[in-house]
Order: sequence, then C-alpha cells, then structure tokens
Amino acid sequence: MKYISKRLGFYLIAFIAAITLNFFLPRLMPGDPVQMYLAELYESGGRIDEATIRAVEELFGFNTNEPLIVSYFKYVKNIFTGNWGYSFANYPQTVLQAMSRGLKWTLFLMGSGLTISFAINTFLGILVAWKRGTKFDTIVTVGGQVMANIPAVIIAIFLSYSLAHTGIFPRGYAVTPLMVHANAFEYVKDVAYHAFLPVMSIVLMSLGGIMGMRANMINQLGEDYIVMGTAKGIPDRKIMLAYSARNALLPVVTTFAMQIGFILGGSLIIELVFNYPGLGKVMLGAINGRDYPLMQGILLMSTIIMLSANFVADLAVLFLDPRIRTEGKRG
Amino acid sequence: MNIVLEVKDLCVDYIIAHGRHVRAVDHVSFNIKEGESLGLAGESGCGKSTIAYSLLRLHRPPALINNGSIKINGHNILDMKQEELNLFRWQEASMVFQSAMNCLNPVVRLEKQFFDLYKAHGITYKRSEARKMTKELLELVGIPGDRVRDYPHQFSGGMRQRAVIAMALALKPKLLILDEPTTALDTVVQRDILKRIYDLKDKLKFSILFITHDISLMMEFCDNIAVMYAGEIVEKATAQNLLHAPRHPYSFGLKNSFPSLQGKIEYMEGIKGNPLDLNSIPVGCRFQERCFNASDICFKKEPPRVHVGENFFHCHNPLSESQEVPCG
Amino acid sequence: MIKRLLNIPVVRFLKESPKTTIGLSLIIIMLIVTFGAGMFTSHDPLHRYKDEYHSPPSEEHILGTTRLGRDVFAQTLYGGRTSITVGVFAGVIAVSISLVVGVTAGYFGGLVDNVITTIINVVMVIPQMVLLLIIAAMLGGSSPILIATIIGFTSWPFGARVIRAQTMSIRSREFIHSAETLGETKLRRLFVEIMPNMLSMISSAFVGTVIYAIMAQTFLEFIGFGDPLSVTWGTMLNHAQTTGALSSGIWWEVFGPSASIIILGAGLTLINFSIDELSNPKLRAQRFMSSYYKEKKKLMKLEAKNSLGSSHVEGGQK
Repeated sequence: MKYISKRLGFYLIAFIAAITLNFFLPRLMPGDPVQMYLAELYESGGRIDEATIRAVEELFGFNTNEPLIVSYFKYVKNIFTGNWGYSFANYPQTVLQAMSRGLKWTLFLMGSGLTISFAINTFLGILVAWKRGTKFDTIVTVGGQVMANIPAVIIAIFLSYSLAHTGIFPRGYAVTPLMVHANAFEYVKDVAYHAFLPVMSIVLMSLGGIMGMRANMINQLGEDYIVMGTAKGIPDRKIMLAYSARNALLPVVTTFAMQIGFILGGSLIIELVFNYPGLGKVMLGAINGRDYPLMQGILLMSTIIMLSANFVADLAVLFLDPRIRTEGKRG
Repeated sequence: MNIVLEVKDLCVDYIIAHGRHVRAVDHVSFNIKEGESLGLAGESGCGKSTIAYSLLRLHRPPALINNGSIKINGHNILDMKQEELNLFRWQEASMVFQSAMNCLNPVVRLEKQFFDLYKAHGITYKRSEARKMTKELLELVGIPGDRVRDYPHQFSGGMRQRAVIAMALALKPKLLILDEPTTALDTVVQRDILKRIYDLKDKLKFSILFITHDISLMMEFCDNIAVMYAGEIVEKATAQNLLHAPRHPYSFGLKNSFPSLQGKIEYMEGIKGNPLDLNSIPVGCRFQERCFNASDICFKKEPPRVHVGENFFHCHNPLSESQEVPCG
Repeated sequence: MIKRLLNIPVVRFLKESPKTTIGLSLIIIMLIVTFGAGMFTSHDPLHRYKDEYHSPPSEEHILGTTRLGRDVFAQTLYGGRTSITVGVFAGVIAVSISLVVGVTAGYFGGLVDNVITTIINVVMVIPQMVLLLIIAAMLGGSSPILIATIIGFTSWPFGARVIRAQTMSIRSREFIHSAETLGETKLRRLFVEIMPNMLSMISSAFVGTVIYAIMAQTFLEFIGFGDPLSVTWGTMLNHAQTTGALSSGIWWEVFGPSASIIILGAGLTLINFSIDELSNPKLRAQRFMSSYYKEKKKLMKLEAKNSLGSSHVEGGQK
C-alpha cells in the first residue's frame, strides 16, 4: 500500500542518516579518538606498535590510508551486514553481543512502561474530558501537570529512596543476582518484582500525556457529530467511548510516536538510577570506558527502536482512520 | 388540532465569566401544530440555532436554559431525566444539522450510524434487519441501497445531506427540526432537497421547524414564519401575510433584502446599522437603532405583544396592513 | 483607588486565572531567590565547614550540610543561577532554530518545505538523549555553557514542526491574502502579519524547551558530565549520589535541588497551560464551569419549588 511504502522509505532514509551521523561523529569531535584510546592503552600497560595502531584504526574505521568516501561505504555496508565492530571495553565481544543483554531488558522496560502508561493516560484522559469542570477534573489535571514537569531523574530518585530504602522493593537489578529460579513462574515473579519501581517511574513520568488526550477529547466534544450522536438519543457513555474517544485517539497516537524519544531517554535515566541492566547501564559502561564503537552501536540500536516504534504507530493510525485506508475510492 | 411543539417564555443564557452571563434567547414563546411548518428567520447570531438546540436539550456548558418550558407532544422536555430524554430524542423530534459532513462520524460506516440509532432505541439488535430498514430509508431520499457500507467522505455533498435527512426520519418523529439544511449547497440541489422533505412531510405526516436566514426560501415552503431579532421573536405571521403585509419594520426590511427573480430591477434597501450587541441591551425596543419607524416611546418602553388572529408582533409603531414602501 | 487598580485588564486576568498567577509567582520567587541569593543566605556555597559534615537541617544551616561540610541551602540558591541560565540559554537557541526552520518551511512551501520537513522528521527520529550522551562523552565532560549549546542544538525539531504547521495555517488565512493585494512585500508580511499570531506557539515552545533543558542538564550532571568544580542542581545530585547520601539517609542534600527543580518546573508548566488557554477559548470555558454549575443548582431549586406549587395550573393549560 502506498502509505506503508512511503513510511518505510522514510525510515530507510532516517536510518542511513543515523549511520552517516554515526560515522562522522567521532571525526567531528576535537581530539583524535584513536590517539586517546592508544594513550589509555599505553597507560594500562599495553604494547603499542605498528600492528596495534593499525588494528585500532581498523576498529574505528579510521583507516587513514583510504579516502573518506571509501571508509564511509565500507562502514555502511558493515552495518547492514550486521558487522557493527568490536567493543573496546568488552573485547573480544562484538558490539552487538555486548548490547544484547542490555537490549533485552530495555525493551522489556520500555514496552511494559509504554503499554501501561498509554492505557492509563488514555483512560484518564477520556474520563477527565467528559467530566470537564468537576473537582475530579481539576485534581487529575493539576496532578498530571505537576507530574509532567518533575524530571525523570527526580522521580526515579524519589521512588528509589522512599520505597526501596524501606525494603519493600529491591534497589536494583532485573532479577535477584545469583538466584536460580525454581520454575518459569518464579522467574516471572522475580522479574516483575524488580521491574515494578522502574516501570512505575516510567508511568509517572508520562502522566503528562493525559493533558494531550484531554485536549483532544475536548476539541472532539465540540464537533457536530458528537452533538448529533447525543441528539439521536445515544447514551452518554456510548458516545464517550465509541464516538469521542475513538476519534480523539488518532491525534494521540501520532503524538505518541513523537513522545517515544522522550520515553527512551527517560528509560535510560531510570535504568541508571535503579541499576537496571538495560542499554542505559551498557551506555554508562561504554562512556566510562571510552568505548566508542559500543556507544555508536547503542546510538544506532536506539534509533532502530525509535523507527520501529514509529512504524507501529503508523500501522495503528492506518487501522484507526478509514480515511487513509479508502483513499482514492470515491462515490 | 394537536399542538406538537409548545415553547413558553424560553430563556437561554451563556455564562461568560464568574457571575456574568449573556442572554441569547429572551422569553421566547411560540407553537407548532400538527402538520404545520414554521420557519424561524433572522440574522446570524439572533438566537435561532440556540432555540433549536434547546428543543432537544443539546446545550453544553457554558450554555444554560434558565427559564421557561418546552413541551413536545405534551411531554415537558426540561423536566425529563436522562434515560427518558435519550429515548425521547430522535423518536418524538429529530434534527437535521447545518453541515452534513460535520455531523456524520467520519470514521464509522453509514450503516453502523443507523444501527447505533436502532440499538439505542431498542428497535432492533440484528444487523441484517437494521441494514434492511436503512436501505429502505435511503431509497426514500434517493440514495442507492448499495452505498450503505460506505464512509461519509465518500459521498457527494447533496447525497450526504439526503442521508442525514433519511437518518432524521428513521424513527418517524412528529417534529423535524431543520437547522440551515441547505446553506452549504448550491441552489439546484437546495430546491431538490427541500421538495423531497416536503413530499415526505405529507407522506409521513410530521411538522417542521425550518431555521434559516433565507426568507425567500421560507416564504415558499413554510406555512408560518416567526422573525427573530436579538433573541426575541418580533413577529409571527402566515407566510402570505409576511410577504404582502408585514407589520414589524424589521420583517419589512428582511423581506425587502431579497431581490425577486422577476420584476424590474430596483434599488435595494438593506437594513441600516449592525446587529445588537447582547452585552449592552438598550432600554425600550431592541430594534430602536435600526428602525425607520422609531418614535420616542420606542426608546423608553418595551413594545407589547399584539395579537391579530393567529399572528402576533411586538411593535409600538407597526406598519399598517397596506403600508407603502417608505423611502430611506 | 485600590478598586481601580484591581480592575485594569491585566490584574483582572490574573485574578480570573489561578494557573497563571501561581505559575508566574513560582517562577518569580525562584528567580529572586537564586539570583538574589546573597539576600537569603550568608553562607558561601563552596566553603567547607569543618566539624559539620553531613549535619541535618538546623538554625545555622537551613538545609543541613553535605559530606564535605558545605551548606546545602546556599548551594541550592547559588547553584540555581547556573541551572536556570543554562536552561534559558538552551531554550533560546532551540527556539531560534525552530523559528527559523519552521517559518521558512511553512511560509515558502513547495520544495523548500519538503526538504526541510524530511530533515525535521529525520532529526526527530534520532533519540535525542542518546545523542546528547554520546556528544557529551566524546567531548569529555563539559562546562554548563557547552551543555546548554548541545541541548539547544538537539531539541529544536519538535518546536519547528509545530511552528511550521501554524505558519501554514495562518498563511492561507484571508488576512494574508488581503495584505498581499494591498501590496505588502513577502518579507514584511512575514514579520508583521504572521509572526505576532504565533506568539503563543513560540512562547509555549520556549517554556517547554527550558523545562526539557533543565532536565537534560540535571541528568547529564547527575551521571557525571558536569563540571565538578561548579555548583549546580545537577552536580549537587551527583555529589549526593556518589557520597552515598541516599543510602545513609541524608535526605536534605537531595531535597534542595529536587524541590527547586520541581517548583521551577511546576511554574513553567502552569504558564504553558495558561498560554494554551489564552489561545484556545474552548479550554477557557472550563474556568466558568463552577458558575455554570451554581446557576444550574439555582435553577433546579427553583423548578422544585415551582412544580410543587403550580402543577395544577400547568395541567389546565392548552
């Protein structure tokens, strides 16, 4: 379908742009990363000779023997064939290997956080718009506003301190370290136990989304077909759900796609505070270890996450809006 | 003759700030009998649509019905509880809104919008039966039955309006309210649609409240016409009377603002001045600033209602039955 | 006299809109307290008070001291200056870029628009936080100004898109066409007619960016990218974390910066919402709901009284 292929085409362009950015980023930064790495290698007692220098350059893709454009195309090809290079700090692991465990947990966290917060926000948004002007509305709205501007860091710290310190929830990790679980159910329980606070942080952080849904609903409520629905004698609840909400969902899904970047960033922050073994932790390790290939890998991987999430949103819009589906078919 | 709609002393306010409100409809009273069609005419913003919305209690905050009574087929609308109201709506009285595109849910198929209606009123819960009934209704207005599963945006403007009319007649109401039903359409389609409505009116025997600012249209299609200005009804008369012998200067001015298709080309008189700002209502008659017949008393006392048979008007200095056209 | 003062439109507006009043007050309070820190505390934020490590709040030190013996309250106040400046600076950069990009795309349309939109979309899809981290890492720890610049240059797409949409919708409105027929040049139209209408968009984009900038900055410093020698809210949190303040129950060290951020953020968000309300009258109607409900109650009481007394009269009417 035209719509889908247009979106996919765009994502391809975006991905290539990300790769290009990735390629040029180390070169744009002041200082030669190769030199910096070699300096550290030297300090930790490594041997520096021609071969090592060449190997490091190769790793970085900094081969000074070939023209830039050739390096670039080699790099692009490598990315698409799955060769993302070796991680410095975790040598001999490849970048992809170093990321895999972290990726798993980050996806889990983001996924659960997004689903739960989307459900809550939508539901509350609908409720609040319908009961506009009542006390309930004011409380939820103000509460949402307040939440919307407490940075993720603070929320995470606050939760960590209050609930974890008192021992109700664990302070970190995805599963109790070194525990061998009796069966799958025990495993799930343990995971949920550890994930509770981080996920709750994500949910709290995104409560600001209520405002969007509410504003959309309010705009909807002024639409003529809502009035017509009421005039037809259709009970209020049905109008709220089937008419208003369904139509208000559309712009919300679109904004949602734009918010994903924010949620991704938030997840990383939360992971760091809670010592959760997701990409955030891997990222911190990479930064501290000056592990550039790993950092670049994380950038690409998170871009892929963003693109996929956007794509899912596109599919959702397609499903929700028949006007796009039936484009071209006129009566 | 049964009275299908009885409106008495209706007042509708819009709250614009704490403790302040603007009265959009001020002590309006009128009746509609069985089989009668009443036209409600006036400039934009005079309160016509507000009255229409009140009849089905469609107002949302900040609008508020602050006084009066509305009885449809003897039932007092303003007293009804929510469930009673839901059943009553569309069944006893229904409405055709101004812009058909906007009043149909764009993401729902046409047949489902009818089905929702049937379900809400307990007519049928079976999809197949609903579809059959819908197709019959659409045939009534000249839309082929196989369009039933299309979305609103796939219809042309005229067809959409006809679909909306079909929907309005689905439960065979006793009162059909038309709120500027043809303003968004071209004149040929306009006439076609109105003619259809009137044929259906005779067939299905319902009354019509026809709201528009196009007086010439009303004169052709309505039995009686009520003219509104600044939230009040200033004159109500039969169409013939209003055409040939309007009593209120405003009705006179309105009638004269529409050029006739035949006859010689004459200089058109408009109505001087601007619509009244409802925030600052003057003492006396509301039409005072723009009236060519105004005298001292018009600035001091509100004009009383004068009845002439079934007609009435509010004016201190009404035009006589055979008044000539005054100049300037 | 007072009555007249209370009635000028600005004051009336503030009275009617609690959101704006509270929001503005919070922001003003924060600004006064931080930039006028000298008036509120006599302590030097960097001075180490020996013998007073990690002491809880007291008369002498309103918010206690850190592990190094520094007064938390003073740190919060003085540190606020840097944090707020960075936020505002980043906001200015981001909004300027958004404005230029957005208006150009929306106003000129056609190919220019297509190219710019694609660029915006691509930049938006690249996760900003991660990019921020990597750039900060590659530059190896940074001064607040640098952080502000990076944030400014990575957070403009969101605003650009909104401004572009608004420009396009205004551009096709009639008063622009009439200005064209009157002979105004393209550029003049741009500045005189279109821009003023977008004031609300621009200001809400600005406020939004400042909030985001403060958060991003705090985060970066929390991880350790800030300048360890400077005092800002983020570095305070970082310090608290690394000296194990949380685990030893030293809550006040965290309280200072957190509370400040929350207060400032709340103020900015409230302002944002009231800007929204100003430009969208439908949202404004909500404020008068309470009068609506009061009137309604009055009505219902009246009805109850009437129906009891005059039902027989109703029945007799024809």
